[in-house]
Amino acid sequence: MEIDNDVAMQDATEEPLDPTLDEDASTVAPGASKTPEGSNASGIADHRSSKPLQLDSGNIGQLDQWIEHLSQCQVLSEEDVGRLCKMAVDVLQFEENVQPVNVPVTICGDVHGQFHDLMELFKIGGPCPDTNYLFMGDYVDRGYYSVETVSYLVAMKVRYPKRITILRGNHESRQITQVYGFYDECLRKYGSANVWKMFTDLFDYFPITALVDNKVFCLHGGLSPMIETVDQVRELNRIQEVPHEGPMCDLLWSDPDDRGGWGISPRGAGFTFGQDISEQFNHTNDLSLIARAHQLVMEGYAWSHQQSVVTIFSAPNYCYRCGNQAAIMEFDENHNRQFLQYDPSMRPGEPTVSRKTPDYFL
Amino acid sequence: MSRNNKNNMDEPGVASNKNVATTEHGETGVNGAQDGDDLYPLALLMDELKHDDIGNRVEAMKKLDTIALALGPQRTRDELVPFLSEVAQDDEDEVFAVLAEQLGKFVPFIGGSKFATLLLPALEILASTEETLVREKAVESLNNVAQELSEDQLFHDFIPLIEHLATADWFSSKVSSCGLFRAVLVRVKDDKFRKELLALYLQLVQDETPMVRRAAGKNLPVLIDLLTQNPDLSTSDDWDYISNMFQKIMTDGQDSVKFLAVDVLISILKFFSKKQDTTHSKDLLRSAIQLIGDEAWRVRYMAAERFEELAFQFKSTPQYIEELSGPFLALCEDNESDVRKGVAKQLPGFAKLLGDPQVVLKKVLPAVQNLSMDESEMVRASLASEITNLAPLVPKQDAIDSLVPILLNMLKDEYPDVRLNIIAKLKVVNEVVGIDLLSENLLPAITELAKDANWRVRMAIIDYIPLLAEQLGVEFFDKQLGDLCLSWLWDTVYSIRSAAVVNLKNLTEIFGSDWSSEKIISRLLKSDSQLLENFVYRITLLHALTELVQVVSNDVTTQKILPFINHLTEDAVPNIRFNVAKSYVTVVQSLCTNKSKNKDLIKRTVIDSLEKLCQDDDIDVRFYATESLKKCEALLA
Repeated sequence: MEIDNDVAMQDATEEPLDPTLDEDASTVAPGASKTPEGSNASGIADHRSSKPLQLDSGNIGQLDQWIEHLSQCQVLSEEDVGRLCKMAVDVLQFEENVQPVNVPVTICGDVHGQFHDLMELFKIGGPCPDTNYLFMGDYVDRGYYSVETVSYLVAMKVRYPKRITILRGNHESRQITQVYGFYDECLRKYGSANVWKMFTDLFDYFPITALVDNKVFCLHGGLSPMIETVDQVRELNRIQEVPHEGPMCDLLWSDPDDRGGWGISPRGAGFTFGQDISEQFNHTNDLSLIARAHQLVMEGYAWSHQQSVVTIFSAPNYCYRCGNQAAIMEFDENHNRQFLQYDPSMRPGEPTVSRKTPDYFL
Repeated sequence: MSRNNKNNMDEPGVASNKNVATTEHGETGVNGAQDGDDLYPLALLMDELKHDDIGNRVEAMKKLDTIALALGPQRTRDELVPFLSEVAQDDEDEVFAVLAEQLGKFVPFIGGSKFATLLLPALEILASTEETLVREKAVESLNNVAQELSEDQLFHDFIPLIEHLATADWFSSKVSSCGLFRAVLVRVKDDKFRKELLALYLQLVQDETPMVRRAAGKNLPVLIDLLTQNPDLSTSDDWDYISNMFQKIMTDGQDSVKFLAVDVLISILKFFSKKQDTTHSKDLLRSAIQLIGDEAWRVRYMAAERFEELAFQFKSTPQYIEELSGPFLALCEDNESDVRKGVAKQLPGFAKLLGDPQVVLKKVLPAVQNLSMDESEMVRASLASEITNLAPLVPKQDAIDSLVPILLNMLKDEYPDVRLNIIAKLKVVNEVVGIDLLSENLLPAITELAKDANWRVRMAIIDYIPLLAEQLGVEFFDKQLGDLCLSWLWDTVYSIRSAAVVNLKNLTEIFGSDWSSEKIISRLLKSDSQLLENFVYRITLLHALTELVQVVSNDVTTQKILPFINHLTEDAVPNIRFNVAKSYVTVVQSLCTNKSKNKDLIKRTVIDSLEKLCQDDDIDVRFYATESLKKCEALLA
């Protein structure tokens, strides 16, 4: 758990950085709670459809081709990302703040641009669409392949909207991605910030929570003192940049804690919540479990609050150095849970923790 | 990369910068031609090359060939190349790297090889930059351009360029020069000139900065190999120089230079073995032994990594090979684990050179025994990757008595890579000691590994099963491995389940349809109903049966498999239903081998079910059912 603190501390630096960033960013990105259709918007949401995207043989062929391309860890062209994001807006805008999800489903945590480990995840859990997936956010930042990772997941979402659900994490935000790598990666891979703008505009449409068979409440961070019922989540306006405070911010930032009640989060955003809070929330809403991600856990999953809350983390050897296992949770049609743990995939040309042959040609 | 981040996000800012750049450029007037239309591509490129954003400049550089093509050879020579020489002095490394690479392909664009020397000034500048990546690309491009040059151009332009770089003040130019000698060395037929070149290279070998000496040492084997390819070219004077260089490198004060002597030595040995000249062998053997026993572990590491290749050069004299065995065994016991790791891979190769099975048994096997229990897992994994190749080198009985126990022990290693490496190469042992004996000893190990916590280990075992099955025969297989093969279908990891499905197909191909029906399919259909409450296992069963459809008789498909698939069309989980739709195509493909007999059945069951699935509530079920229906109707037509 030592390493867990480490990340909390790293994340804690996110917030102190934010105010300065915010000053800079106020002219750049539409600030929190503003509409994304500012002068700087990417335009992906300019012509939103009034009904969900209809798949036909034309766009299915296109999507299958993109998915094939992306599965080789190759980025799409900027134009294709634009097309993909436009289609994704017309899928995601019709999803709910509390997106209903059927069983069986495999629930996954943070991926953080570790594309090859995402492919490993599918080797463990089975390929989509044969297996249904629910991802609880944080697809970008930290890893080297944020663009490929988020493009792949979004393409899968558009192609198989009923088979995969992608929630928003605290890293699916304009501000955080400017500090933790996604922005720089887009600039490096495309030579401009356009792709970053398109994806961050798209993130505003991601659902923020999901409810599996009315029993398991899934979200990236945790609970909020301003939210007592699931219905209150349904009333939020989620189509906006992640705010600095308030219920939507808390759902993406909070962490469970050993101490009871509400506490101040060391991250500087969201809160910590105790077992009493989780149990009350589960009782009020007739839930069996809260599943969330957001925190590094060495075994890939960790129970807290006497099995009221589970943390799932799906980025093995996080940041290519933490040495943690990753996990996913299979939740079958009879509500049985099975955790599958896995290690990093074989990754050619990337740093690993294990000792490599020293470079003698320095 | 971070430069102008903030600006870039602010569109108007970028736009205005771009305008400024354009005006600036207008004033410089590099392309002073009057015709406005022709000007366009070059002006556009130059604007982009002055763009504030480095990404645009890099992209523009990548399109250099298009621009050159549009301009034609004359204007590319007169306008673009001089401009690029300017760029080569004032931009960022990312842009330089692309420019350096592009110029290497530029000879056709400037009107062919007679103008090729025009490219040299820009490349020379790039070859002198601080950034290694840029220099490497520039050197590669210079070597490409040199291929196109006539002998005359080489003497007039290229060799002076090498001399200029090699005698520059700053180390970066000298480093680059080391990579350029290869372009000219064997094209200089004049002995005197070649001697001068080698004299210059000797200076680089003795340069005061280690970076230059390292580059010289690294490039020397290439030069020697070139002389080996042209065996009659070099003179004894040349070889005095080379010998001198080798001595200097071998006694260099820096380990990171000294260890390069191993590759130099190998190249020298190759030259003399090509010339069938053994007069220097004894001296070179002394040098080899000295390097193998060097006090610096990097040098020993290099000798260990290259041991087989090094020893191979002495193969014509068995006595020398034998003299090398002492130093070899010393490397096996080296203090540094990296050295042991390097040499562990060389064991079978060197044992083969030793030739005598008794020597292998007495000297090499004890070393193998020790390395197999090495404290470093990397050493053991390295040993495991090659060790099985020792099996053919010793008499069969000795292999059984001495080698197999070591292998079995390594199969129990706590580090998965060790186990995997052994399993991956068991075939060669199998050929020597025979499958019976191996399987007898292996079975316990295999059943153990089949339950390994690491799924890749389990996967490696599955891959090995068909080979075992084929050679063990059906009776032994049913008794010893049948249950195991079915149990993998219920593994928690998808990839294992999927491999288990393919394995069943492979086994059916070996043992036949009747066997599969009786021993596999019947048992699959009787699977535990509690297990099948989980959709993961229902879908696996569906996949397994669908895979088997392709290798069993039509009777088995219609009597056993099809009823099961039909029954899944009403499964509560949509993922099962659309996989049923996919499976039907495989079924119809198989049944269409006897279309007249099966047509009615297909229509009654498959087509009927698919039509129902086309009306399903779930969009994906409808999609796959529609696709499958089309395919099935086409097959029936």
